[in-house]
Amino acid sequence: MKITVYGKELTSWVAAACLARSGNEVTIIENACSNGKSAQPLSDIRVLINEPGLLELTKQQILSGRLIRGEQSESDATVHWLALNADEIHRAEQIVRDETRNPETQRLIVNQSNFGVGATEKLQHLLRQSDQQDAIYLPDLIQEGNAINDFATPERLIIGADKEWSIIQTNALLRPFSQSADNIQVMAPKEAEFTKFAITGMLAIRIGYINELANLADQIDVDIDVIRQGMGADPRIGHHYMSPGCGFGGQNFQEYTRKFSELFEQQSNPSLLATVIKENEVQKELLFRKLWQHYQCDLKGKTVSLWGGSFKPETASIDNAPSLKIIEALLAQNVSVKLHDPQALQNLQEYFGDNSALRYCGNRYEALEDSDALLIVTEWQEYWSPDYSLMLEKMRTPLIIDGRNIFDKEMLQSQGFTYTGIGR
Amino acid sequence: MSITSSAAWQALQAHAEQAKQTHIKDMFAEQPARFAELSFQTDTLLLDLSKQRFQLTTLYLLVQLAKTQQLPAKIEAMFNGAVLNPSENRPALHSALRQPRDKSLILDERDVIADVHHSLDAMERLVKRIHRRQWRGYDGSPIQNIVNIGVGGSDLGPLMCCKALTEWVPEDAKQLNLHFVSSMDGSQLERLLLQLDPASTLFIISSKSFSTIDTLANAKTAREWLINASGASADIINQHHFIGVTSKPDKAESWGIPVTNQLHFWDWTGGRYSLWSVIGFPIALHIGMENFHHLLTGAHKMDEHFRTVELTKNLPVLLALTDIWNINFLDIHAHAILPYDGRLSHLPAYLEQLEMESNGKNVSLDGQITDYRTCPILWGEIGSNAQHAFYQLLHQGTEAVMCDFIVPAERYKDASAELQQQHQLALANCLAQSRLLALGDSILDSAEQAPAHKRYQGNQPSSTIMLKSLTPETLGELIAMYEHKVFVQSVIWDINPFDQWGVELGKVIATELLSQFNSEDTSALDGSTAGLIDFIQHNTGSQPNNDG
Repeated sequence: MKITVYGKELTSWVAAACLARSGNEVTIIENACSNGKSAQPLSDIRVLINEPGLLELTKQQILSGRLIRGEQSESDATVHWLALNADEIHRAEQIVRDETRNPETQRLIVNQSNFGVGATEKLQHLLRQSDQQDAIYLPDLIQEGNAINDFATPERLIIGADKEWSIIQTNALLRPFSQSADNIQVMAPKEAEFTKFAITGMLAIRIGYINELANLADQIDVDIDVIRQGMGADPRIGHHYMSPGCGFGGQNFQEYTRKFSELFEQQSNPSLLATVIKENEVQKELLFRKLWQHYQCDLKGKTVSLWGGSFKPETASIDNAPSLKIIEALLAQNVSVKLHDPQALQNLQEYFGDNSALRYCGNRYEALEDSDALLIVTEWQEYWSPDYSLMLEKMRTPLIIDGRNIFDKEMLQSQGFTYTGIGR
Repeated sequence: MSITSSAAWQALQAHAEQAKQTHIKDMFAEQPARFAELSFQTDTLLLDLSKQRFQLTTLYLLVQLAKTQQLPAKIEAMFNGAVLNPSENRPALHSALRQPRDKSLILDERDVIADVHHSLDAMERLVKRIHRRQWRGYDGSPIQNIVNIGVGGSDLGPLMCCKALTEWVPEDAKQLNLHFVSSMDGSQLERLLLQLDPASTLFIISSKSFSTIDTLANAKTAREWLINASGASADIINQHHFIGVTSKPDKAESWGIPVTNQLHFWDWTGGRYSLWSVIGFPIALHIGMENFHHLLTGAHKMDEHFRTVELTKNLPVLLALTDIWNINFLDIHAHAILPYDGRLSHLPAYLEQLEMESNGKNVSLDGQITDYRTCPILWGEIGSNAQHAFYQLLHQGTEAVMCDFIVPAERYKDASAELQQQHQLALANCLAQSRLLALGDSILDSAEQAPAHKRYQGNQPSSTIMLKSLTPETLGELIAMYEHKVFVQSVIWDINPFDQWGVELGKVIATELLSQFNSEDTSALDGSTAGLIDFIQHNTGSQPNNDG
């Protein structure tokens, strides 16, 4: 099939690359208009670098000739895939108008953007009466760090389409990817949109709840890890999204929860989600508060190490990451910060710029030199089993504040560390 | 020699005999150009004096009186830092608080303007830190609640401006909740402490002398509340939950506020003239430093107007002379402040202090009891609400009252049509009331047939101050206009507007009486006070111990 993908976010690149890999001829149009500027080199595009394997896959597909970075759509492209930013609804409307001008041409508009509940229906209203033109909604179910797999071999699929023609077209389009899915559900676009938001909201609420439990556990001196295991063993609850931590981040997740919460607000319903979002922002500073309390409100002249800056492991993305808030708070207290992250250092350097109080360390132990505390902010694999004696040697004060509960408390204490986690 | 025996005063007195016989409605009938002659403007503000009981010639006579009292020289002296407050041996330099950074004014070998900006810069750093959510409470939470503890000038000015300028709150200040606590009995504080989260609450202790008992009593309660809630030491609480605003750093420090948590101003800033200084810290927190500077700019514009414009066109001078005319020549001793804009709800209370604490005096600068009236009784309310309260007295009572109507021409520019209409309604009421007060029911065709209880005599004089719109800048201009008006009146009356000895003795007596509450022997007191103490003792279980 000939497909045009619109957008410059992770979703659009993953869709473009995966659709090309399965044999489609794909044009990706990143911006509404390039204004004559030459295209950014692939290796400079942040979302491609941040996502494991995506830059390689994209390069391969371009080499193969199946993926083209273009400025306008091929006139015989029948599928138009909108993976736009939440604020690009007008661009989406313009594309739909332009592409469906001739009712005789076949056009399937696939909306995969976060425009809110009811947006696909609005796009449908722009169409003329034609039995081979339609707009459908395909929820974006990819997770950063595992995006290619999530797209190419999904465990489940939700398709928001309500015309037989478009359901057949969509099934054909997704056939290379639907083999792995043991559950494919077709529902109205509006319902599919709602479902997507509801899933994200539910997950956010689970995290918010377990974080709240952890904070309570801290205060009444019980170990949240034990509680969590006990809760997760109940089949009605399960273990997913039940790890307490120092706040969730990421662009998509935050964006979807925020937007869903706004929908509640617009309808004047009090929103549990709004509270979760607000509390999550507070949670992001939890490690700072624990440090502040440990040093009795006086951090002047201290050196603090951070392990982890990305919002979660296996990505270089720092969108809405807790590390940002923690570093800002530390710098405001005149603390020297030493920061390690396997992938996100460059992004962090761009975010904070040159600051003599902030050192970017390529080696995790280097970040511990003369340190008065280590904060674990992201649970990268390489942090789980470090060389404890080397750590003790490097640190001035062996204090560990573990924002992801990756260490064993008793073990660390027996080594001579002062340890505090989230909820234990 | 008293001003009353000056030629200018005598001339005005003679002139007044005639004016007293003339109704405002007849003045309008005879002088169609009254508005053109008797209204005055700056770029942003209109002062309409045409509904006063005078004419242009009256104003010229009043200006003669001002000249007799050497007003132009006194104005210059004030701006230059002359000691205009002899009883406390100080200048009154509130105008220096809003001078631009590039100016200078040397006083005792120090550049006052440089000090002012140094102090404003220190305030700006605190404002930014709090707005960036990087001022941390004892558990590391960012401060979200600000409680200003202060009374009089440390309360009324900031409170009035904050209420007036809520539309100008910048994005990064929207998460702050601002509260004002003043009353010594703790009733405001008690309610507030029930709702506030201690870890994210910062107290501003605002006291020029840092010895005001009202403020220190509230501050002590606040500190105990924090210590109990946090389990932290007093040092940590002082360091992270208190900012002191004062002219007495040592006293603030010995109370417990470290110097690094203090903002300073000076002896030469009178409390009721101090909102432009770091006393305005709550205002700056509320509307941001940029808007705070706009407030200062507006006041500075009025300063320049006051200093440079000839007396016959000088707004503060005209406003003051109008009141002199009403008080000293027409025998009017009540003055109502009537803003037709809910945002100015606290302006009456602010002006009550500004005028009555400044000019409520009966001793002239040379120590003589004045043989003329000075400051009248001022009170006020949002005009449209007052219509349902005391306007009855204005229209049909036996007291002559002068009124100031204060209203912006434009409001709700970007808001709904309904709200715009509400402002139109307020404007219409404002104009209707001043019109009826001045002209009475003569504006109706058949008023004379109405029964006596439905008649309106009119002839109540008023000034209308119309702002183009209410902004930080125009508010600054408006307040500075009243400040200077008060000064001009003090010059005519030959009194010191910058001291307030009348509020001192009561404090001393209160301290003495406090010890009497548990005393058996109250016989040294007057019968009334002794009787009241007896009642307190019987009803609070604090009776003296009678076994001994």
